[in-house]
Amino acid sequence: MIINILILIIPLIASIFYKKIKTSSIIVSIIEMFLLILLYFSKTYNGFFFVDNISFIFILMVDSIYLLSLLYSKKYVHSIKNKGISENFYYLLMNFFYVSMVFALMVNNYGFMWVGIETTTISSALLLITEKSDTSLEATWRYIIIVSAGVTFAFISVILIYYSFHTLTVTAIIYSKAKDTIAVRLAVGIALVGFGTKVGVFPMHTWLPDAHSEAPAPVSAMFSGVLLPVALYVLYRIYEIFPMRELFVWAGTVSVLFAALFLGYQKNYKRMFAYSTMENMNIALIGLSTFTYIGLIGALLLLLSHSFGKAGAFYSSGNIYKMSDTKDINSIKGLINNKMSSASLLLSSFAVTGTPPYGTFFGEFLILYSVFSIHFYAQFIIIVLSLFLAFVSINFNVSKMIFKGKSDYSENNVNTLIPLIAAIISIAVGVIFLVVYNEIL
Amino acid sequence: MNIIYTIIYLVTALIAVSGFYIQGNKYIRSMAMTQGFQSLLIAIVSFMLGFVLKEYTFFILGVLVIILRVFLVTYFLINKIPKNKSYLYESKLGTTYLLIIDLIFIIISIFIVYSISFVYIKTVTFPVSNILLFPLLLFFQGLFLIASRRRTIAQVLGYIEEENSLILLGVFILPVPIIIESSVFLDVLILVVIFSVISIEKPVHEKMEELRG
Repeated sequence: MIINILILIIPLIASIFYKKIKTSSIIVSIIEMFLLILLYFSKTYNGFFFVDNISFIFILMVDSIYLLSLLYSKKYVHSIKNKGISENFYYLLMNFFYVSMVFALMVNNYGFMWVGIETTTISSALLLITEKSDTSLEATWRYIIIVSAGVTFAFISVILIYYSFHTLTVTAIIYSKAKDTIAVRLAVGIALVGFGTKVGVFPMHTWLPDAHSEAPAPVSAMFSGVLLPVALYVLYRIYEIFPMRELFVWAGTVSVLFAALFLGYQKNYKRMFAYSTMENMNIALIGLSTFTYIGLIGALLLLLSHSFGKAGAFYSSGNIYKMSDTKDINSIKGLINNKMSSASLLLSSFAVTGTPPYGTFFGEFLILYSVFSIHFYAQFIIIVLSLFLAFVSINFNVSKMIFKGKSDYSENNVNTLIPLIAAIISIAVGVIFLVVYNEIL
Repeated sequence: MNIIYTIIYLVTALIAVSGFYIQGNKYIRSMAMTQGFQSLLIAIVSFMLGFVLKEYTFFILGVLVIILRVFLVTYFLINKIPKNKSYLYESKLGTTYLLIIDLIFIIISIFIVYSISFVYIKTVTFPVSNILLFPLLLFFQGLFLIASRRRTIAQVLGYIEEENSLILLGVFILPVPIIIESSVFLDVLILVVIFSVISIEKPVHEKMEELRG
């Protein structure tokens, strides 16, 4: 309990040192990693907080990407010319953003989970205008209005859960006897639409490419790598009350299909990676929705590996944008001359498209296996075709940016190490999984 | 139904009517004021239910609605509305046409949502369950307002209307614990502040080529 409170309070304490907030935030994020180790040995299954193995993996993701994003932000945010918010305010919001996500993951109450998710919108909205432009303002607006309207809808689900169980305590509900009533079914179905807006479920995904493409690279990494998984976690906790397998798997399948189709005609590399996030989140949703052990392991593995891979992809995108001043895929040529940038971009694009031996590959494999094992053959075929389409679209565009033509971009003013580290961790997740859990395969 | 329940029913119907008034209005300031009035009516419903059921949480909820929605939210919105006349009055807006579309949209939505699902939900705090139609109607009204308007403030009002419908829905089905309700209120208040900040920079929203596809 004390560790849970410390994890939530320490980043807020860092914000007190406002003038030195850049340094204090990085120190705090390192302390949080140590606290995470302690949390692993003192998981809480009752009371105000609820941290089991599933939520622990999500907290691990959030902590890691938070640390990497802060380190990457140091150079990136400092060099932004037209800032919409001050540098110190940026770090303050990052800390609040982190705390709201961890709060949503640790709290043992559906009502407070909703509050946590809504708070992530509040704390992250203004981060989108760090690189201020007319387009980023419009993207911010779309993000707030669409996500808020969607998450508001999810509150009906919270009301109905309370109506059905007379409590909102997660453990009391999921460990109680399953209830099959119209109200419970409605609560779970509405959660899919409400929280699904934040997860990127079709057709409520429209904010996603706008926000990801206009946010500064470290914020895009936080959005893609951890914000969407946090919303997915909350959705999963509601899904556990009454698993509506058919509905959820179909919703995920249709979303994956549309994400793959959208990927086919993208001209902006940041939007391309945003649609890739939509695809990966919905694959994870399908894995969780199969409600099998293999599906769950696959989804967690996919999310963990994807968080690092996608963070690497967005950091690389940030570097390319700094070097070239364009987000247009066709305008980027000959990145091969910039060894570090091209390596990190290529490795992270392999990571997000599920290439072996990345964790995403094993995750997708396990999810497909579990879909097949529950006899959802039509969905299985659609998912396989969509994955193939997404793989070709992304890697074709990335290869074009790297290998076609010549360029004279300079890597002097960008951080090339963090994207590479993130992409390598994504491989490590897959390799470690292969060694440790090989009996599953 | 005794007389007080009948009054609650009528006031709730009036709340839904206020939603239509906002939709059919071209004057931004008047729309914001109507939102304040709508929130006041919700607070009155909450007080009356508290009185009938002798439940103090309804009174706390009513007070929270008055402080946060009627005063603070309305104050922020009124103060952040740009002062130029072209912004305050949406002259090119076809409100009659929008109202007709709105009615069609709401009738279809309500028919689908209520008849296949909410009809099975029995209210705990009110003797007649069909009162749930009004919060649902207000919810879809809010959604339509967001979708149909280009002005930032008008879209914010749509969002607040959605939030109001949830308070009403909760009040009639079964109010969630007040601590959670308070957190929700605070969240919405901060969101309105952020909305207001952005509305200064971007008062109107149009399609953008960069955000296509």
